[in-house]
Amino acid sequence: GAGQDVGRSCILVSIAGKNVMLDCGMHMGYNDDRRFPDFSYITQNGRLTDFLDCVIISHFHLDHCGALPYFSEMVGYDGPIYMTHPTKAICPILLEDYRKITVDKKGETNFFTSQMIKDCMKKVVAVHLHQTVQVDEELEIKAYYAGHVLGAAMFQIKVGCESVVYTGDYNMTPDRHLGAAWIDKCRPDLLISESTYATTIRDSKRCRERDFLKKVHETVERGGKVLIPVFALGRAQELCILLETFWERMNLKAPIYFSTGLTEKANHYYKLFITWTNQKIRKTFVQRNMFEFKHIKAFDRAFADNPGPMVVFATPGMLHAGQSLQIFRKWAGNEKNMVIMPGYCVQGTVGHKILSGQRKLEMEGRQILEVKMQVEYMSFSAHADAKGIMQLIRQAEPRNVLLVHGEAKKMEFLKQKIEQEFHVSCYMPANGETTTIFTNPSIPVDISLGLLKRETAIGLLPDVKKPKLMHGTLIMKDNSFRLVSPEQALKELGLAEHQLRFTCRVHIQDPRKEHETVLRVYNHLKGVLKDYSVQHLPDGSITVESILIQATAHSEDQGTKVLLVSWTYQDEELGSYLTSLLKKGLPQSTS
Amino acid sequence: YEDLHAFELQAPTRLIEWARGNRVCVAGYGQSGGNEILQLLPPPTLQVKETQGLCPERDFKVECGGFSNRPVYSLKYVPDTSLLVTSGPPDSSLQVWQVSAEDSDVIKPVGAIPTVNGTGQPWAKIATVSARAPWVLHGSRLNSVQITEVESRKNVYMAASSNSEELSGLAFLDGNTLLLCCAKGQLCLADVRQPQSPLEAVSVPSAPCGERWCMGVGRGPQGSDSSSQPIACLSSGGHLTLTDLRKTSESLASAKCRVPSPSSGAEFLCVSWAPALEGCLAISGFDGTVHVYDTQSWDSSGREAEPIFVHRGHAFGGSDSSGGPPLVTVHTWHPQKPRTLLSAASNGSLHVWDWVQSCGKC
Repeated sequence: GAGQDVGRSCILVSIAGKNVMLDCGMHMGYNDDRRFPDFSYITQNGRLTDFLDCVIISHFHLDHCGALPYFSEMVGYDGPIYMTHPTKAICPILLEDYRKITVDKKGETNFFTSQMIKDCMKKVVAVHLHQTVQVDEELEIKAYYAGHVLGAAMFQIKVGCESVVYTGDYNMTPDRHLGAAWIDKCRPDLLISESTYATTIRDSKRCRERDFLKKVHETVERGGKVLIPVFALGRAQELCILLETFWERMNLKAPIYFSTGLTEKANHYYKLFITWTNQKIRKTFVQRNMFEFKHIKAFDRAFADNPGPMVVFATPGMLHAGQSLQIFRKWAGNEKNMVIMPGYCVQGTVGHKILSGQRKLEMEGRQILEVKMQVEYMSFSAHADAKGIMQLIRQAEPRNVLLVHGEAKKMEFLKQKIEQEFHVSCYMPANGETTTIFTNPSIPVDISLGLLKRETAIGLLPDVKKPKLMHGTLIMKDNSFRLVSPEQALKELGLAEHQLRFTCRVHIQDPRKEHETVLRVYNHLKGVLKDYSVQHLPDGSITVESILIQATAHSEDQGTKVLLVSWTYQDEELGSYLTSLLKKGLPQSTS
Repeated sequence: YEDLHAFELQAPTRLIEWARGNRVCVAGYGQSGGNEILQLLPPPTLQVKETQGLCPERDFKVECGGFSNRPVYSLKYVPDTSLLVTSGPPDSSLQVWQVSAEDSDVIKPVGAIPTVNGTGQPWAKIATVSARAPWVLHGSRLNSVQITEVESRKNVYMAASSNSEELSGLAFLDGNTLLLCCAKGQLCLADVRQPQSPLEAVSVPSAPCGERWCMGVGRGPQGSDSSSQPIACLSSGGHLTLTDLRKTSESLASAKCRVPSPSSGAEFLCVSWAPALEGCLAISGFDGTVHVYDTQSWDSSGREAEPIFVHRGHAFGGSDSSGGPPLVTVHTWHPQKPRTLLSAASNGSLHVWDWVQSCGKC
């Protein structure tokens, strides 16, 4: 899921023989089986529990976890499911809420039950931020802070030296109650990033908020009522903090109400997960609870009939049931009032209908409701834009990038941009498509101590600035790699050693007698190779370390001497060096 | 403000060009390559029609983009084609690009229009007109003004001038008449049908020399004759003169704007007429502000004028890449919404703003 599309996020990663499923979301645009990811792509035969090593859920939004109970209880999966603590606490609430609308209100049958949600959550293992969790001996995972909503995390999946980072949904700019996403320079082989707003240049938060406050203020000034349907957790807290600050600054008197039950639940979760909120909230929480407001009071349903202006936050968020719908019905007929939808609404809900422009709604009992109140949409959702995505790539330094959760074809430009700026490959697969990424795994090789000592003790090379070349024999045996000296290798493997000897002829112009040429060569070499053992032997040959040099006259030309340079394979480097040195010729003067 | 949007581009732009369907184009001008040309779809809140769609966002969408090694100083869409041309240092040649939004979102380079003796010349100013075949008017000096047919790259007009005065702007007044503005302030007219006749000098502004000038040409409704609108000329010292081309012996009106001397040597001076607000113009390029003036009450005394609105938002955006205070690089008016402007600054900010008219006129 979520391949070139928004909704039913579900990605399967195969890394070093391990299979991990990332997110298990619901597509909010479909009413039939297309709302679930197509799990038949995972494996044609065999049980999912055997095939998958684990499932990871990034956050509690339904397009990332909505299909989880269906997957684990109806399709069948009994392995571990990993998510952060806040996600584990909040997921079941949203799943149950969604189940209620789909089954009770819309009368669907092929859907998971409340018991299934409970059974599914029993398989969940909660993780902390930056805690390395060993799924098995080879597979480990780690969660990073993602911002976006309470408890959202980006996950690193590592097997040996290969790793993948999955971002889920994230944002790179902090807001009033959550911080910004952050990851260290973990250099994964692949970064899977969401790209919902990749082709967007977002209006600044200040201007967005200014617009929101302006609309609320104008409505309240003319005596109207503002209804803001919200989910229990998420943007509601953000908007409350915003209004509280504004009311204080402008000295406004109109009452602001918050649905009962909402305050307690929200406060409870924010207190529990205070480490997940941002710096500022954590600091002020000690002095005064950021979520206990001066101007915002608990709502009582009777207040809805009070005359005069007011602002009410009520659940649920899409106006599909409950208190927010009740209030909406009371206030819809008055054009002085306003309803501000703060997020996406699922098809079929009243929220979706009024955003589409419908102004006559059919309610229960065939009653027609005429909507005269103003309908506004104000999105405060926190996603990374193109700039944010580039920032995250810069932080993590992946070798490859894969984009999901965005629109189809119109991403060629971003792909080129990423490839040009970071010199990495960028992929954008569609649903059902498999992308193969090639990695360069490093293979550890043990070197024997004796070999290491020996190699470092060998005399200086002609140029000490060059990197040192070591010689050894690589033995691959029993799934281990060892670097040992040739002698040890021969012994271990019971092989006979072969000797290689090289001989090279260097021609030198020198009309003198051979022994004089030899003397010249000897003095020259002694002068140049001060750190080597250069010897003139009684038989007329020269040795440099273990390399042998002999001079003979050329058979046809007395004026030319032929130097025979001979060395064993082990002295190859010195031998080649010596040869090229001699080829340059001898200095004119003789000593 | 009636409305205010503040965006942050990844790299600052010094041009904002309008394209079909109210699309907007911006481009980077960095010296070290990797500049992006972006064609943006404005947020639904900026569309004239009220149908906002299901979830109207306040954001620009990058519709397509291209990469340019050169800094992009000027960009113009070629009307009735899917091409656009750009110019920028190190010479006065033009680069031609293809925008094909259907199969891909990449703006591809398709060639260049070289200029004779173009190396080392200042960058070319560009103008296009929709009445004719796809022509591009370009040049960096009076003696290098030419019109090139974009698809065939053939020159259809060369200005007959031996004057090497540097240009700060050029424009088509109609399908046959060209207006050229020199950096020193002189305005010249030329007729495309008479390439051999010398350029007709129009006026020389009466202000201290040593100042740099730029011009703003009014645009009437699509296709109408723009020579009826006065030409506004702005100097780096803050002098604004309005000239009527039908009566060039004296300037129509002039005023002095209270602006600081521009820190960047008048590189970003910009003056433009409001398309839908009678007699209003905007100036920028002196600092981080955009001034809007109502010229209807001006006379030729040249005294100081008070702006009817000053947009200061860019100054709050943070410093630019060199650490200095941000400088507004360009501004433009929305073609239909009377009091809406777009402005960009050297710190990468892009603002869309609409001010509330104080008491007086509507």
